[in-house]
Amino acid sequence: MSSSSFRRFPVNLLLLAAIFAVTVESLSAEESNRIEFGRDILPILSDRCFQCHGPDEAQRESNLRLDLKEEAFSEADSGEVAIQPGDASKSPLISRITHEDPDLLMPPPESGLTLSEEEIQKLRKWIDQGAKWEQHWAFVPPKNPKVPRPVSDWATRNPIDHFIHEGVQSAGLTPQPEADKETLLRRVTLDLTGLPPTIEEMDDFLADDTPEAYEKVVDRLLKSDRYGEHMARVWLDAARYADTHGLHLDNERQIWPYRDWVIKSFNRNMPFDEFTIEQLAGDLLPAPNLGQKVATGFNRCNVTTSEGGSIDEEYYVRYAVDRVETTSTVWLGLTAGCAACHDHKFDPLTQKEFYQLFSYFFSLTEKAMDGNALLPPPAIKVPTDEQRVQQQNLNEELTRLRAEIRKRLDEYVYQDPRSDVELPTLQRSDRIWFDDELPAGAVPQGNGENPWKFVSGEEHPVFSGETASVRTGEGLTQHFFTGATEPLMIGDNDSLFAYVYLDPDNPPETVQLQFNDGSWEHRAYWGADKGHGAGRNNASNLKMGELPATGEWVRLEVPAASVGLNSGAKLNGWAFTQFGGTVHWDSPGIVTIAPLSAEQLASQNIWELYLKEVKQGGLPGEVQKALDVASGDRNEGQLKAIRDHYLKQVNPESTQYFAESLKQEQDRTNELNTLNGAIPSSLIMEERAEPRQAHILERGEYTLKRDPVSSATPEWLGPQPEESPNNRLGLAKWLMNPEHPLTARVTVNRYWQHYFGTGLVKTSEDFGIQGERPSHPELLDWLALDFIDSGWDVRRMQKQIVMSATYRQASRVTPEQLSIDPENRLLSRGPRFRLDAEIIRDQALYVSGLMHGVLGGPSVKPYQPAGLWKPVGFGGSNTSVFKQDSGEKLYRRSMYTFWKRTSPPPSMTTFDAPDRETCQVRRARTNTPLQALVLMNDVQFIEAARKFAERILRNGGESDEQRLVYAFRSIVGRRPSTEELEKLLVFQADYRQQFGQDETAVTQFLSAGESPRDESLDASDLAAWSMLAHLLMNLSETITKG
Amino acid sequence: MNTQHPLREAALVETRRHFFGRTAGGIGTAALASLVNPQLFAGNRDGTMDRVGGLEELPHFAPKAKRVIYLFMSGAPSQLDMWDYKPKMNDWFDKDLPDSIRNGQRITTMTSGQKRFPIAPSTFKFDQHGQHGAWVSELLPHTAGMVDDLAVVKTVNTEAINHDPAITYIQTGSQLPGRPSTGAWLSYGLGSMNENLPAFVVLHSTVNGGFGGQALYARLWGAGFLSTRHQGVSLRSNGDPVLYLSNPQGISGKMRRRMLDELAQMNQSRYDEVGDPEIQSRIAQYEMAYRMQTSVPELTDISDESEKTLEMYGEEVKKPGTFAANCLLARRLAERGVRFTQVFIRQWDQHGNLPNDIRRQCGIIDQPCAALVKDLKQRGMLEDTLVVWGGEFGRTIYCQGGLTKTNYGRDHHPRCYTKWMAGGGIRPGIVYGETDDFSYNVTENPVHIHDLNATMLHCLGVDHERLTFKHQGRNFRLTDVHGNVVKDILA
Repeated sequence: MSSSSFRRFPVNLLLLAAIFAVTVESLSAEESNRIEFGRDILPILSDRCFQCHGPDEAQRESNLRLDLKEEAFSEADSGEVAIQPGDASKSPLISRITHEDPDLLMPPPESGLTLSEEEIQKLRKWIDQGAKWEQHWAFVPPKNPKVPRPVSDWATRNPIDHFIHEGVQSAGLTPQPEADKETLLRRVTLDLTGLPPTIEEMDDFLADDTPEAYEKVVDRLLKSDRYGEHMARVWLDAARYADTHGLHLDNERQIWPYRDWVIKSFNRNMPFDEFTIEQLAGDLLPAPNLGQKVATGFNRCNVTTSEGGSIDEEYYVRYAVDRVETTSTVWLGLTAGCAACHDHKFDPLTQKEFYQLFSYFFSLTEKAMDGNALLPPPAIKVPTDEQRVQQQNLNEELTRLRAEIRKRLDEYVYQDPRSDVELPTLQRSDRIWFDDELPAGAVPQGNGENPWKFVSGEEHPVFSGETASVRTGEGLTQHFFTGATEPLMIGDNDSLFAYVYLDPDNPPETVQLQFNDGSWEHRAYWGADKGHGAGRNNASNLKMGELPATGEWVRLEVPAASVGLNSGAKLNGWAFTQFGGTVHWDSPGIVTIAPLSAEQLASQNIWELYLKEVKQGGLPGEVQKALDVASGDRNEGQLKAIRDHYLKQVNPESTQYFAESLKQEQDRTNELNTLNGAIPSSLIMEERAEPRQAHILERGEYTLKRDPVSSATPEWLGPQPEESPNNRLGLAKWLMNPEHPLTARVTVNRYWQHYFGTGLVKTSEDFGIQGERPSHPELLDWLALDFIDSGWDVRRMQKQIVMSATYRQASRVTPEQLSIDPENRLLSRGPRFRLDAEIIRDQALYVSGLMHGVLGGPSVKPYQPAGLWKPVGFGGSNTSVFKQDSGEKLYRRSMYTFWKRTSPPPSMTTFDAPDRETCQVRRARTNTPLQALVLMNDVQFIEAARKFAERILRNGGESDEQRLVYAFRSIVGRRPSTEELEKLLVFQADYRQQFGQDETAVTQFLSAGESPRDESLDASDLAAWSMLAHLLMNLSETITKG
Repeated sequence: MNTQHPLREAALVETRRHFFGRTAGGIGTAALASLVNPQLFAGNRDGTMDRVGGLEELPHFAPKAKRVIYLFMSGAPSQLDMWDYKPKMNDWFDKDLPDSIRNGQRITTMTSGQKRFPIAPSTFKFDQHGQHGAWVSELLPHTAGMVDDLAVVKTVNTEAINHDPAITYIQTGSQLPGRPSTGAWLSYGLGSMNENLPAFVVLHSTVNGGFGGQALYARLWGAGFLSTRHQGVSLRSNGDPVLYLSNPQGISGKMRRRMLDELAQMNQSRYDEVGDPEIQSRIAQYEMAYRMQTSVPELTDISDESEKTLEMYGEEVKKPGTFAANCLLARRLAERGVRFTQVFIRQWDQHGNLPNDIRRQCGIIDQPCAALVKDLKQRGMLEDTLVVWGGEFGRTIYCQGGLTKTNYGRDHHPRCYTKWMAGGGIRPGIVYGETDDFSYNVTENPVHIHDLNATMLHCLGVDHERLTFKHQGRNFRLTDVHGNVVKDILA
């Protein structure tokens, strides 16, 4: 062999696959010389002829259609009938594909398509044999196949084996015996939970001699919470689940409650029909519960945009197309996407049918632009059980407190001491908010270190008090604060002011005041438009005038309402902003009417008169309304509202009396708000009240609308169940109709792929005519029907597979097997392939004891090399800076790792995790040097090796030999052979010697990762064992399911 | 390509098995690796070789270029201020773009709210350069000096009008995520020319020491439905140049070597037991990883470059991660046989304050671009290296935001913009295609981005219609169902 390893595998696999095809061919030839249309002819027609003679009306030449029986056997434009059953020599089809004149030869040479001699022979033979026509296998509902008789004395466990053995025997192979118990337990534990078995579990299994030992294990694993996580993780590839929107800014999105719903559904063994219906149409079920709504997140997982300049209409179309493609890949195993632009070239799906499916997903309430928001609506709050209890408790407490306050208010005796007085004259005057020090609670911020400088002395002008604040800077610069606990109340017609002193030698270009009432969008500037919000000239940045004179104190004054601060607004922050120069600032304040004195406030009458005059905002709506009614006209409720407010909030004596209860009410309310704020939400689907009309779109272009279409399912895949509504719910029910030819087959095939690495139909995403035919069609049908009959019982179906003798075979491969069946499609041996990315990392965390195994919750950010997001992220994106988590969050299962679509975690993608931008039901499985580098050097794996070593030293026994056995069993399940053990002893001694000589190396090597090291262990020894653990974690066997 | 009959393959496996059986524990890794992969030592010491991987039937015809360096200006530079000289526009200052010129072109929602579309003539001076007298703006003095080596294409066009879809489109042939990127196609079709380096390398450039600007996406160098081994590998200027390249602290090179030898022994004995050829491949991949640990630092260490060379690229070349440093690195990658190197630089999205910002950007790229072409030429490598320069779309003649004689902004423009190509297979010293007086519409020789990609593949000896991959029952290709090779710009 001389090709390199970069190309070696794919090429060999291709080559071997070809040989395999020939092998099967020769088998069938032995069995019978009969040509089967579906197996032998349709793939040729579809691949070489359908481009021009297939379902796509627009591309069809000479009205000859070779995808429909009636058409294929009727007259073409030429007046000829292409196929003459029984006589190939008289069939124009044969003469055209063998024609010498290149102008007449089919397929036309310029198409780049050719027919091999063998294919021509097949076509000939088929016609000679009568040209029997059949429908594509996958579009015909499965029929219950007869389970084959067992082959001689080969051990079988269930019907699966009968089907498999038939094929193995025909190929002249024999099945492998059952794998040894260690291999078997590791295999089935990894397959059902995504984690390896512990030594204890292994010992229990080895000690159990009963015939049911294995079944007990399977049942235990199927009930483990880890099972649901593992199955969900695979499903999430199909759902294209991720934690960011995916397009343009790629901001964070919150939809992980949907992810957790999937986990729970598997752990509850939700039947697959319910699982389907809730995800596609949970919102349309009668009185849907929270879970059913959250489930619809499935079709909110698609990528979305909010790029400036995008056209809504275009994205409504793109999202609906994505949903059709995803739904059809996952449930139909069909590549519907082709039909978005034109009739499908190979499968019977027309463009019209595509847009009829599209119509189901075209009328959602979502907006085309996600707004770069965490929760672009529709979304729903998803409290945990604990949060629900807390909510209830707080609400009860609040009810109790309010009743108590009510009672005390009713009992309170108040007599206005000065019911006859007139209101003293009210005058507007300056009130300085703060001088020389910031108001209570204010958090000083700004450009540069120590942004707030209060100065005095010779060289500094001061307007009032002891100091002024000063700033010198280049460009746009400022000091400011937020968080003042006693806010500055704004009343009607109030103005805000501050004093400035501009340095004559270094004047700024702009001075600007900014006010914060929860938002900073209230600004006023003098001079050039170079402050914050430049270019707007509205309340969020209003020009007040030219730059004030320099070298003197000048008062800057802004009517509060002109910058959007109306009566009732409360300021908690203030910014002093300038463009360049040196500016002194002093005495910010408000021009307002002086507040009432305590004595005046003791009179409700005076207070009411004051309010009438001053129109101070900020009162509860109900109170304000009551006050607006002329005092004589108020009804009892209004009078009570005013009195209550007065007693609780205004009167100096009564406010004291109520303070404690009111504080308690406020505290509980705050707690409730905090709690409500902490409850996560999840994106869901929701139907528009008025449906949006779908059209056929020429070439898939949103601008090229053609005929309007309404929602419908393709008839050739079976009818809608009776009485089902024609909406997404109807679509989901149609998919789960037991008569449906595809859903069950496609689903069991994906599970088969999960266990054996390759589906019975290898192209698990494509069951159409261009997809690969099943290696065991009868088995596929048998499994599908069995799945339907069981009530779509997912756990049962999987148990059936892992209980089979086929699954339990040893995976050792002989050269003979390798040559006859390189890809193990015949299953004459057990499955063996590299573990998925997530399992590789999870396994390392698990055996090292680092794993933090809680179920669900927000996604986490474990280690990733620095500087991956910054070089690609949009500056304004909230995922442009990666902030690594710490503590437990570093050690969650990989399915909880935060998935940023435009820069996914490299240790995952290196091991072929898909990018989650589109639906994926089959992962690649490559073998590359970059994978070696991850396992060699990723801090996650180095740290795990150290923690693994600590475990080895603590729990592995006393001698090196015991420890090595412990380590080996922990990670690959089995005991090392004598030869392996000898080698490992040598290596271990070598590491010990090397680290023994190099203290620095020891310290450095043990410092990887955040977790503290066990100081009770000798460092040099720990380093040596860590190195051994590191070696074991790199074994091919470790990352392979065997 | 050498194919191996599976039975002979199996026999070989057997032989190896015996070999290891006898020498268990004592086998040198080099020998082991060469057994697994004899070609590993067929090449040169730095790992370069004629070809490794790729499809048997490729190239379809004799290639002019062996490799590509693609200088990608993300954000879309203004053709009007750099390349597409429109002197008549000076008379049109602040006049409205005629509807007859706009002719129904969709406008982004960033300017669709504007009441007017006033013409903003370029504030920069243009002069003719080179033997063919190409007009180049004063922003590009160095590039202007090399213009006789370039084919400047003024009529590149696309349908996409927003960054994400447009850059995805030009890089993958589709506006929607999911397709392989250009480099991945080449890795898949043509394989690599260096055993120790990835076939497809991506370099991100800093601007003034930081990043920022329009976002980039992993899909732009992703493998789509091709095997993930074809995805671009980012060569980084901070931390490990290739992710996870460095041994952990405390593990010396010597220790790593021993550990890998031991690992190979363990894996080998497992192979003897279970016979899975994937284990052999795994052993070889570890060897290659080890080799990358030395070859990559050699690659990024520019201490062997002459002062003269460094000067040519300018001061910034000594700062890792700058565009200048990346251009030099691109040349070093090309020397080492990397098939496709893509250098990204962002911050060309100049909706406002364009004259200042474009001056800064051109100041960053001009000298290194010219130096790269010159450097390749001096080394005789321009002949078989294709250099491509440009962005995802162009910019409008009309102003976005406030317009003065010296300040303006420009919105996105898909109907025509300028890119240049140079080197392997490209006719030097030409300006191709013509646009109207407003640089708004193509008047002569349009080059769609599919055409551009088809032409790029053509230079590499690849018929863009025949480099396909069957996915979901359909043969996909970089140019979708479009694309014509632009023969007029071929040498």
